[in-house]
Amino acid sequence: MTAGSYSGKKTGAVRCRPLEIKLLFLAGFYTLAGMLALYLGAAGIPEREAVPAGLAAIAAFLLVSLYWHFTGYRGDCFLLPVTALLSSTGLVFLFRLDPAYGVRQFVWLLAGLGALVLTTRFSVGFRFLSDYKYIYALAGLVALVLPVFFGHEQGGAKSWLDFGVFHFQPSEFVKILVVLFLASFLAENRPVLTAGTKNLGWLSLPGPQEWGPLVAMWGVSLLLLIFQKDLGAALIYFSTFLTMVYVATSRIFYVLFGMVLFMAGAAASFYFFEHVRARVETWLNPWPYIETTGYQVIQSLFAINSGGMIGTGLGEGYPEFIPIVHTDFIFSAICEETGLIGGVGVIILFMIFVFRGIRIALRTRDEFAALVASGLTALMGLQAFIIIAGVTKLLPLTGVTLPYMSYGGSSLVANFILLGLLMNISHEADGG
Amino acid sequence: MMKQNILKLGFLLLGLFVVLIIYLSYLQVVKGPALAANPYNRRLQELEARIRRGNIYDAGGVILARTEYNGNKSRRVYPGGEFTPHLIGYISGKYGRAGLESTYDRYLLGMEGADQIRNFINRLLGKEQKGGDLTLTIDFALHRQAMELLGGRRGAVVLVETRTGALRVLASSPGYDPNRLEEIWPDLVQDKNSPLLDRASQGAYPPGSTFKVVTAAGALAANPAFASSTFNCPGYLMVGGYKLTDLAAHGEVDIKKALAVSCNTAFAQLGLEMGADGFYRTFKVFGLDQDPSPGIPVRPGTLAAPGKMTPAELASSAIGQGEMLVSPLHMALVAAAIANQGVVMRPYLVDLIKDSAGETVYKAVYRSWLTATTPDISGIIKAGMIDAVRSGTAGAAAVSGMQVAGKTGSAQNPHGQTHAWFIGFAPADRPRLAIAVVLENAGSGGSVAAPIAGKLLAAAAAKGY
Repeated sequence: MTAGSYSGKKTGAVRCRPLEIKLLFLAGFYTLAGMLALYLGAAGIPEREAVPAGLAAIAAFLLVSLYWHFTGYRGDCFLLPVTALLSSTGLVFLFRLDPAYGVRQFVWLLAGLGALVLTTRFSVGFRFLSDYKYIYALAGLVALVLPVFFGHEQGGAKSWLDFGVFHFQPSEFVKILVVLFLASFLAENRPVLTAGTKNLGWLSLPGPQEWGPLVAMWGVSLLLLIFQKDLGAALIYFSTFLTMVYVATSRIFYVLFGMVLFMAGAAASFYFFEHVRARVETWLNPWPYIETTGYQVIQSLFAINSGGMIGTGLGEGYPEFIPIVHTDFIFSAICEETGLIGGVGVIILFMIFVFRGIRIALRTRDEFAALVASGLTALMGLQAFIIIAGVTKLLPLTGVTLPYMSYGGSSLVANFILLGLLMNISHEADGG
Repeated sequence: MMKQNILKLGFLLLGLFVVLIIYLSYLQVVKGPALAANPYNRRLQELEARIRRGNIYDAGGVILARTEYNGNKSRRVYPGGEFTPHLIGYISGKYGRAGLESTYDRYLLGMEGADQIRNFINRLLGKEQKGGDLTLTIDFALHRQAMELLGGRRGAVVLVETRTGALRVLASSPGYDPNRLEEIWPDLVQDKNSPLLDRASQGAYPPGSTFKVVTAAGALAANPAFASSTFNCPGYLMVGGYKLTDLAAHGEVDIKKALAVSCNTAFAQLGLEMGADGFYRTFKVFGLDQDPSPGIPVRPGTLAAPGKMTPAELASSAIGQGEMLVSPLHMALVAAAIANQGVVMRPYLVDLIKDSAGETVYKAVYRSWLTATTPDISGIIKAGMIDAVRSGTAGAAAVSGMQVAGKTGSAQNPHGQTHAWFIGFAPADRPRLAIAVVLENAGSGGSVAAPIAGKLLAAAAAKGY
């Protein structure tokens, strides 16, 4: 393995770590203000764990930054503060909604930061990752198949594995494997996929040996997701797939073809699957279903609407009227209690994340790195977009987590691994 | 090449987020609190449950609505019971809110003025939040007497101070007990007598002959010569091949006499002289097509559009029949206009609003609402109305020791017996009080409505109003 010390010159980017630490301190004050409000009883009963948890979380972020500082790591210095703000906002709201979730999320946050450090430590020379693409495909398939047989249904989706103390959601990790697989495969087959080998009149297409594995992999994973009823994950996988194919080949035809395929699939599942039809009908007009399938999204709209410009204030709203507000609907709770300002703030943080991610992808030196970076960025951006659009009824609701904010260990750890991979690519681009 | 695609991807992703920001702004700011009133949204109720809602008092300090606590659970209590449900209204998690409870919700909940800030601080400190109190112009004793005189029959009484517009009685019968609203609601909705309807402000009645007061004012304004002309009443009038019958052949009458004896023939002729446009204008000049917003919603009066008014429709409208429908409150204001030399004061129900600290947030100032007619014309009509009580159809409204002026009506309607109407004011020489009484399908105005008006005017005068 390419685990190693970050050898090389301590140039330019090193100066960036103190900036990162400064930003983390700001994030720390912000977190502490929220936790202090909860400690003083903003949410009714004073939360004794809130302040220590907030302090410990921010200290953990600072430790990660310091560790990078002393090992000479040159990864991007804005991504960690952004994720710190996102995950501490999530943590504050989880403590406010249900301290039991807050405590568990705090533990998962530490685990996520551990995963981040391990990722930046042991896969810093990430290029070796491109050697195992068929292992990813296989591992991903197995991980997706397992829940179908041994799965545990939660929130309508059968995508969970029950490990006793906690539930594990493989699809959160498989999404990273998907990006790695696609990046290695596309980097290898890019010339053929771009130019094509067979001519169908005006259209030149590559042979089945090139695109076959790609489509087969995708068909299988989408089918599995349909059986797991995890529509959100299917949507994210598919849109990430399309964006990566486009980035690699510049052929809008593939995207259009993919969208047609997707539409056909969506139409078919609309007719064949009750749960898909219910989702779409609820989206088009939730009011007739206000007592059943539409209840959740309407309660979410009520919450967002009651927030107004500046919100009701932390602990002063009623986001608990939304069923399972702590996972998919945490954004609605934030909108209710911090208003438009808070909601837009969260969106802007994701925009900064995407901006840095795209910047990293633009500064890479080879195709694999560029594809991984843009793929992971697209994954993050699309996931955030899809769930925020879902809870605001801009798109049909598909149950996915809001990265770094929603309650959920699998999601949190997977997203910190994703962050680590992006950091590694930027470390290399900045003169590794 | 690939870098360009990555850049495009970046723009696409950022564009998606910009769309989200725009949509979220629409949802939170532009759409405003539109969803707050939805019955499935429990936020408003939860917020209210944390606030001690203020009291409602009558003009003399009698409590008409208060909040009672049983441990942590609050309950709204209406000591006025069956006498005041339409006026005070109700608040119900199930059936929404109505009446003054609805109109002055924000004051009663302490969401206006200084209370807004005070309650914000109280909320932060976890202290009890309190709302403000309303003091009404209503005199509960008189109001109760009016309800008792209506005696559960379908009808309404409106008593208004002509010089200020203060409403002293706004009674609608039959009433119901708002303290048991949720329990009796299914029956109330089914009840043929529509007890939920506030007849005083929302009732839509043909005004019958009481409307002749308006017709007279309109005709005199259009042509002052009518003041001295006479009309021949053979007991009927032919209009466009349609025979409009009168109660009697009144012979030669002038306008005063016509009012006193309630001559249909004379007023149908006056209506035809005015024409549809003139008639319509008069209707508007008296504010009959408007909601004067006294604090609860009033149904604006309606009549056939002037373009669609056939001579027959015009002649029957002129005597308060036809398609025209008005509320008792409007007719009380017609009487008040004649009493007050043509000027109608804006009617109001809420005299004083205090915030939870006892500071006055609002004090009613009386002001004129509209000028319906001139002092000369109102003088002529007043003379006719005095005669109506002294020697004409409205004799039963007479009160010993005080001159009452009035006009009766017996409005034909498709539901059976005539609606009994009376409008009037007292004392005739220096008027202070105007009244409108209506009883549905109860017979003639002179024998059913006029006595109620007389008793109430006497009682009100005795109390010094």
